[in-house]
Amino acid sequence: MPPSRESIQNRGDEDEVCPVCKSSRYLNPDMQFLINPECYHKMCESCVDRIFSSGPANCPVAGCHKTLRKNRFRKQTFEDINVEREVDIRRRVMQILNRREDEFDSKRAWDDFLEQREEIIANLVHGTDVAKTEADLQKYAQENTRSIRANQALDAQEASSFQERQTQEQELARLRRQAARQEYENERRELLAGREDVLSRLAAGRPADAAAIARDGQKVLLKKSSARRSEEDRIRQKQAALRGSDARRAGQFGLTTADKAGDAGDTGLIKGLRKIKTPEPEKPYDPFGGMVPDKRDYYTLRDFYPSSYLDPIRQDTRMQAGGYDLREYYSRTLLEAFAGLGCFIDEEVSQRDAANSMGITMPVATEGAALAAGSSGPAGNV
Amino acid sequence: MIEDDFYRSSSQFRFWSYTETSLRSLRATTNAIASERVQSALRKSRGAQRSATSSAAGTPAPNHTGSDADSKAGGEETEIECLTPEEEHQLVRYFCEQIIELGEMYKPPLPTIVRATAIQYLRRFYLTNSPMTYHPKSIMLCALFLATKTDNYYLSLRQFTEVIPGDTTSEDIIRPEYLVMQSLRFTFDIRHPFRGLEGAIMELQAIAQGIGQPAPHFPTQTPEDLKRKLHALHPSPTASSTTDRLARAHHNTREILKSAAQMTDAYFLYTPSQIWLSAFMLADRPLAEFYLDTKLGGPPADPQQQGNPLSELRTKLLRTLTGCSNLLQAYTPLASDPDQKKNLRRIRKKLFHCQNPEKADLAGQKRIPAAAAAAVAAAADPATSESEMERLAKKRKLEGKQPRDIFGGELVTQRTKE
Amino acid sequence: MAVSPLSSLSPSASDTAVKLTCAVNLQDNAHSPLITHSTGRELAEQLNDDVRHKYIKDKKLGEGTYAVVYLGHLRVDPSSLVAIKKIKVNAEYKDGLSMDAIREVKYLQELSHPNIIALHDVFSSKDQNLNLVLEYLPHGDLEMLIKDGNVHYGAADVKAWIGMLARGVWFCHENFILHRDIKPNNLLIAFDGEVKLADFGLARSFADPYLNMTHQVITRWYRPPELLYGARQYSGAVDIWSIGMVFAELLLRVPFVAGNSDLDQISKVCEAFGTPTEDNWPGVTRLPNYIPADKNHTVPIQGREFFLRQFPTAGPVGADLLMSMCMLDPRKRSTARQVLQHKWWFTEPKPTEKENLPRKSDGTQKMGNGLTRKGGEIDDYTFKYTARQLDFNAGE
Repeated sequence: MPPSRESIQNRGDEDEVCPVCKSSRYLNPDMQFLINPECYHKMCESCVDRIFSSGPANCPVAGCHKTLRKNRFRKQTFEDINVEREVDIRRRVMQILNRREDEFDSKRAWDDFLEQREEIIANLVHGTDVAKTEADLQKYAQENTRSIRANQALDAQEASSFQERQTQEQELARLRRQAARQEYENERRELLAGREDVLSRLAAGRPADAAAIARDGQKVLLKKSSARRSEEDRIRQKQAALRGSDARRAGQFGLTTADKAGDAGDTGLIKGLRKIKTPEPEKPYDPFGGMVPDKRDYYTLRDFYPSSYLDPIRQDTRMQAGGYDLREYYSRTLLEAFAGLGCFIDEEVSQRDAANSMGITMPVATEGAALAAGSSGPAGNV
Repeated sequence: MIEDDFYRSSSQFRFWSYTETSLRSLRATTNAIASERVQSALRKSRGAQRSATSSAAGTPAPNHTGSDADSKAGGEETEIECLTPEEEHQLVRYFCEQIIELGEMYKPPLPTIVRATAIQYLRRFYLTNSPMTYHPKSIMLCALFLATKTDNYYLSLRQFTEVIPGDTTSEDIIRPEYLVMQSLRFTFDIRHPFRGLEGAIMELQAIAQGIGQPAPHFPTQTPEDLKRKLHALHPSPTASSTTDRLARAHHNTREILKSAAQMTDAYFLYTPSQIWLSAFMLADRPLAEFYLDTKLGGPPADPQQQGNPLSELRTKLLRTLTGCSNLLQAYTPLASDPDQKKNLRRIRKKLFHCQNPEKADLAGQKRIPAAAAAAVAAAADPATSESEMERLAKKRKLEGKQPRDIFGGELVTQRTKE
Repeated sequence: MAVSPLSSLSPSASDTAVKLTCAVNLQDNAHSPLITHSTGRELAEQLNDDVRHKYIKDKKLGEGTYAVVYLGHLRVDPSSLVAIKKIKVNAEYKDGLSMDAIREVKYLQELSHPNIIALHDVFSSKDQNLNLVLEYLPHGDLEMLIKDGNVHYGAADVKAWIGMLARGVWFCHENFILHRDIKPNNLLIAFDGEVKLADFGLARSFADPYLNMTHQVITRWYRPPELLYGARQYSGAVDIWSIGMVFAELLLRVPFVAGNSDLDQISKVCEAFGTPTEDNWPGVTRLPNYIPADKNHTVPIQGREFFLRQFPTAGPVGADLLMSMCMLDPRKRSTARQVLQHKWWFTEPKPTEKENLPRKSDGTQKMGNGLTRKGGEIDDYTFKYTARQLDFNAGE
């Protein structure tokens, strides 16, 4: 028996017989099995053609009532159908939950997200809580179409730029090889030419000069080749650099647009997303920083108040020359006349006490511990 | 009101404002802690003393350490009678009055504001400390000296000490400074009502002269209107003219602020603006009400009418001002009240017996170089060492037989001679 | 009474609220017999210990003759940093706690504003030292920026800094407190680039009539002419002159009027801005330390052209503002409010957003050193004044 047959047999009957039409590979070695990710029931190509060519139909496997479409049938990639299914689920979930690390506030939030995504995948794979998980996923997909699409575009772009870079590197390598070959050729040619030159000079010159001429010839050759090599290197490097920076620029551009497209802040499903800063409309500069100068409720300040007590100051040129300003005194006395007139201590202080009454009943230590526990927050697992 | 926010940011409002209830309970707590400590400290020192005497007599004492067993054995002794919160309060008030007197002795006399600040320091100090622990006579001097520094009326400690009667040294005065500052919780700014009164008087004078400005909420007021209304006020029985009336009201209000406002709990319970206005009401009620009405409008035409924030504020304010006025009015100086004086003498006698011996030397360790202080603080933390207490207790017993001239006595006798 | 529109706008409102809660917590603890009886110490001591235990001291940031500064943090939240300035007990000073410590504590307790260094708490430690818990400002000060050739800044940055400085000073003056020591190394820079007025060791309240104040305040180069002439009654205008000098220094990157003695300072001021006379400054000759100018060498009062020529970076409007802060006669000088109402703030360029201001990152050590400097001289009434020496070369 040929070893191939043996191995086929070892795989068992299941793999060899179409569960729908029962035709076997033994009779039909070209037989191809297809699956549909709706239910992962395997059937042969001819069955698929037969049953689904005229439009969607129920899966012919007994007990499975899934409606299948022909265009979704495909070859199985993995031997284990469970792996196949998990990979499909994973791909689908990843396409929806395609947040990127730089969208998260912290490493921790990103890790949480990854864990959450794995949990969703596991739920779907093992069939736990499927309805809810699917619903969450759909809801998320609907709410975040823009950012999903932006991130998909970004992924595609990265993939293509990765590819581009790879082809570029291959191209560079090819160029380098070519150049090396070329150079080798050139050197050979010049060596030959130089040798001829030396020979002709030796032929023409005196025998005493022979050694010197031969040495000169060698030197010139070396110089030429190294000069050429460095020149070529320079040009090549420059070109490569130019191409590289082009690619980078394209990448950067892509990134910025994607950032703008990424709209949602914290979505219901995913936590810890970086808030996207929408540039606030520029506020006019306020030199007073939000306070209103000279606004008063009780009095309107005058530049002069009659007071015999203050009259000597008004006459005192020395005090005036020092800059002493009675208006500052008026302003202070009138402010102090009314500052706090409407503060009712019995009311405000007892409110203050009441607001803190929680703290009173708690011993200091417990209060501190509670505070400490409260403040440890997301980094509390250190 | 905008002006109120200036006061709300002050340390006086944030740290030193109380309701009557919270003030009372704070004093009660302070008194309770101090009494407990006095009892236990005196028990210990008595025990120590007895064991000392008995060992001197040659009979071995059953308990030679000041332990719990010893204090139980001493059960037949009468409990020491401690001061009540009310008595402590009376005592502190007496020393507040002493600050006024003392300020007069300087040449020139210490400014009113410095003395008022010192008084408030003393009052704040005794909210969280008891006179049984720290005797007011020394705290008072330190508070006054601290006030000269914080209120920019600087005297050197030497100059300051020269005026103090008795044998008080500079070191005695400055020693508790750190303790005082700590008890003041390092808030030195006192918001007094004096300057506010000056502002109001200046504005009233402007109104009297027909140059008053309309209040922001009553832009239709005219200087003429204001002037007319001021002059049409129900005439004061004592003043001949409006100017005279203003001057009298000014003077009398100031007197109340210098005395009653300092000697009562006014600063803890009311804001400086409420205090001067309450005092002003006591001095000349129609004038004070006129002034308030220019700011908040008169009484509402229809008392049932709701929703005008200014008239609601006015109603509330009048209630508070009445409360404050009553507090100020109830004050009578000790010197003019023989009953109070007698009572005070009793309290001081009582204090003499319930002064905490551990702290009698008061913050003794407070003004020593930092390095040594750390060591002392560490050593003295649970209680001063036994021998130290014994020594102090003996000293007190000795002094008990020959009462030393306690500071302040001199002033009292002086006054009685007069 | 919710009439006040300011209360919600006040940038300090939230700060105050926080402080308030802390304060109340302490007071509440005081009222709670449970706690008080369990510890059995004086209430005053307990309150102090409660504050002390709120913080943990970390490493030392700097040490001077006057104070040691530590980095510290809240016990319950190690990420909330503070600077703890421990004021050394001066054994030689027989009159108790020194005036500059008293002033600093007194005024910082009352002021709460984004452009003034925040005093979170004060407590005493076992060794009887005073500990000021201050806002931690790690980015150095304006002097460092001015002197650092690697730091480049422009008119928009200067506008932002002077704006913050003027706002802080305005707030002090609104509360009737003079700072009296404004200079670049007292202007510290916060995490977010905010400039904070620090070192209130020479501050005092003002405006009361007939009260003498000392004229030996403000570091010489930033001291206004009325103080150089010994005026004992003055106003907020003294701080405004200092702001003007800081403004000029920011523009020139070198102190504008740097005399090496008080006398030299007067003559340099006169040379720079003009010779004071009874005409341009009525009453100036009656000031206690007035020195008649050399008749043969009088400089006319400098006009706009001078400021425009000297400070082209500020632009014509900026030069105008600077000129209004450098008026010899304090009565003619702008007040802090007038400074903030000037139209320069609204002309191009717009002040830089504080987050985008140039800064240095290695300012930690600097804060330590900055806070340990000794405040000015002791008081208004002692005879021997020792003016604060400013020595840039000695190294901090």
